[in-house]
Amino acid sequence: MRLVFDRGTVLIPDTPQDVDLADVRGLLWDPRVKAYRAPARRYIEVMKDLGRRGIPFSDGVPFWDPARSQDPRGLVTAPGDWSAVALRPYQEAALCAWELSGRRGLVVLPTGSGKTRVALAAMARTGLSALCLVPTRVLLEQWLREIRAVYADKVGCFGDGHRDLSPVTVATFESAYRHMDRLGNRFDFLVIDEAHHFGSGLRDEALEMSIASARLGLTASPPRSGSSLARLAELIGPPVYELAVSDLAGRFLASFDAITLHLDLTDGERGTYEELMSIFRGAFVQFRRLVPEGSWQDFVRAAARSAEGWRALSAFRQARKLLAFTSAKREALRSLLNRHQGSRTFVFTADNESAYAIARAHLIMPLTCDIGAKERHEVLARFRTGELRALVSARVLNEGLDVPDADVAIVVGGALGEREHLQRVGRLLRPTPGKRALVYELVSRRTMEVAQARRRREGLASRVTAQI
Amino acid sequence: MLPGSLLRFSVRGDEVVPHFLLENDLPWLRALVDERERFVGRRTCELEERLREPLPCASPAGKRTLASHVLLRLRGIQRRSAVPSRVARAKLFGEAARSPGCSDGVLASVAASLRVTPGELSDSLFSDLPGESLVAPLEEPLCPGQLALRTNLLLAQALLFRATKLTIEAEGNSRALVRHAKLRGLICTVAQREQPQVAALELSGPLSLFRRTLLYGRTLANLVPQLAWCKSFSLHAVCSLQGRPLALELRSGDPIFPGGEPRAYDSRLEERFARDFRRAAPGWDVVREPEPVAAGETLVFPDFALQHRLDPSRRWLLELVGFWTPDYLARKLASYRAAGLSNLILCIDEERDCANGDLPPGALVLRFRRRVDAGALVRLIESPGYPASIDTCLTGN
Repeated sequence: MRLVFDRGTVLIPDTPQDVDLADVRGLLWDPRVKAYRAPARRYIEVMKDLGRRGIPFSDGVPFWDPARSQDPRGLVTAPGDWSAVALRPYQEAALCAWELSGRRGLVVLPTGSGKTRVALAAMARTGLSALCLVPTRVLLEQWLREIRAVYADKVGCFGDGHRDLSPVTVATFESAYRHMDRLGNRFDFLVIDEAHHFGSGLRDEALEMSIASARLGLTASPPRSGSSLARLAELIGPPVYELAVSDLAGRFLASFDAITLHLDLTDGERGTYEELMSIFRGAFVQFRRLVPEGSWQDFVRAAARSAEGWRALSAFRQARKLLAFTSAKREALRSLLNRHQGSRTFVFTADNESAYAIARAHLIMPLTCDIGAKERHEVLARFRTGELRALVSARVLNEGLDVPDADVAIVVGGALGEREHLQRVGRLLRPTPGKRALVYELVSRRTMEVAQARRRREGLASRVTAQI
Repeated sequence: MLPGSLLRFSVRGDEVVPHFLLENDLPWLRALVDERERFVGRRTCELEERLREPLPCASPAGKRTLASHVLLRLRGIQRRSAVPSRVARAKLFGEAARSPGCSDGVLASVAASLRVTPGELSDSLFSDLPGESLVAPLEEPLCPGQLALRTNLLLAQALLFRATKLTIEAEGNSRALVRHAKLRGLICTVAQREQPQVAALELSGPLSLFRRTLLYGRTLANLVPQLAWCKSFSLHAVCSLQGRPLALELRSGDPIFPGGEPRAYDSRLEERFARDFRRAAPGWDVVREPEPVAAGETLVFPDFALQHRLDPSRRWLLELVGFWTPDYLARKLASYRAAGLSNLILCIDEERDCANGDLPPGALVLRFRRRVDAGALVRLIESPGYPASIDTCLTGN
């Protein structure tokens, strides 16, 4: 009997008739191919169960590379390939907790606290072939840089047009999702950056289709809901170490002040806003009366079915667009940029269109998902050297990007809620001696932004509180 | 792929009914196409904004959003900007950081250094980015009917993108369907068939055994253009929509854009063989891609059927084999024998033997180099006593 890897699953194609595998954990009978099959994630479990029952089998699951004569299974051969990765005490503690948990689990650390260092040290210490999964192309480049700084051999890259595989490889979530049927048996260790993106069903298959038994998830904001957290525990492991901003602020993270500026709409803007919102509210109130428990998504679905609902949605969109960059925000932004001319500043907007409008109005370089990788790289390099003093972005700067010197953030608008805000604030927390960062939030009075800003502040406060 | 909010369908019981664009939608589609023409030269985001507003004639909101989505993604003949956008951004924003002050002054001085007007510099700044780029004229005028078909195709594919499993009954082009599915990692099994000329295929992915996964949706969705080339088809899919499994049916006659004419032959070799055989055997018909033949639990897709015009019992199936090994041929022949297929001839290219070794015994094989010898084949099938045995190995030219 032989176990083979088949497109993200473990298959037993020729089960002897006298062997009953029906109750082996993880295995299911696949009538399409008349063989037993398990998701690749359960590979070790299946092997152990077969071993316990004394069922003999040969293992053809891990990728076997005949070119690697010493260790054809693809393990990182020379520990000397890795330079020493220096860790801060809390990073060392996080790594230790992960190892004690059987090399599975989530490490929850605030943005800017050096989660990547923990992963680098884990890869170096385990010496396993490792696949690092990252959410964006920007982070792909960043991880490649970080690994190359401590790893002497070639680093593979899968994503953003590249298809190079090595024992240590970095891939985007999307590439992993689409190609794990071929990559799934090549790595023994999965590192998952921004691991909170998994667990809700979206792209979870990328983790299902890998045989890697060692799994390390990194995040600053793990899901708090039961089902997502349980699924993450299944796919990666439970949280094994967690620190909040307040645990590290002052010593390992920069301190910051958050200032909310409440701004008025002009009379014209107010009139238009109220008109649009009354169209929206009419339909929304009616929907709520009919479906008291209905979510926003339910409302959008229902609204799209009638002309009235359509108008309501359109009105809501226009109202939000009006708030994205009001006259008062324009003036406040001008004044803040003048005040902080000598600082490194990030301007955050709700959407790309506002980012381009600000770029034109204030001659600030935009960094959006539309800007190509090469240009993005150049822009970040120029920002690091101080040649550019400010960047405006809707989402690209939200997550993980390593920009050490920013000390002022101006939040003109946001669309994604508390997690987004936390990540944005995190961009400023990389410490330098004597640094105290400033976060400005521009909020239009008597609009939907007031409640949004309150929720963001509450979210930030809850994460600033210690959560060990 | 289309975002979920743009999907247009209704649910009847456990079935999805796609809201395809039909003839009665053409008036407002015409208005939409006209708007696009009117916005040529302006920013795409401005057109997007306009398409959200009411049109001069009545239009169903959901369908219109969908058609607008398609319209906004049509690329036209792009005009070059006065300054490459990347250069414009690098110069302007770099200069603005060096000498903060009046934006207009910085814009004017950078424009002068690039020998363009401030207006041209401003236009060039983001002209390479979606949304900010200018709406370009289309290479060929778009008629409302074409827009409807393109939209319908996208809708059908978007629904199938959420499919977990597909069953297709297809007449003609079924080989291309199977090849497409297998090349892209799907498991393709043969289901019960009602008519012999119809191939009934069940398509799903390895992981589908464990959960309703959308992992294979993209591959399943990409089958749609292939279906439009079948003589007839009916497709049954299980799609995960509104949080539950729903059935989707598509069939021939649905207004789905075919995406181009199918090629008559897969290769020059096949084309040349068909021509040569017709010349060499006027008493025989040559049928390209005949109906698949069940061989045990799998299907055989012959390249050609050779049918005598006067004697229906004289029928041969022909398969042109590309790269091969003796093992591969042995397995193939074993499955044919198991299925009782004694009228199948394999034509193998001697230059494409991928392993050293003898051919399996008992194969009816016609060897060729570069070109199948139609004359030799005619001699084989016309010779008295055939089909007597399949244990003959012929050598062609």
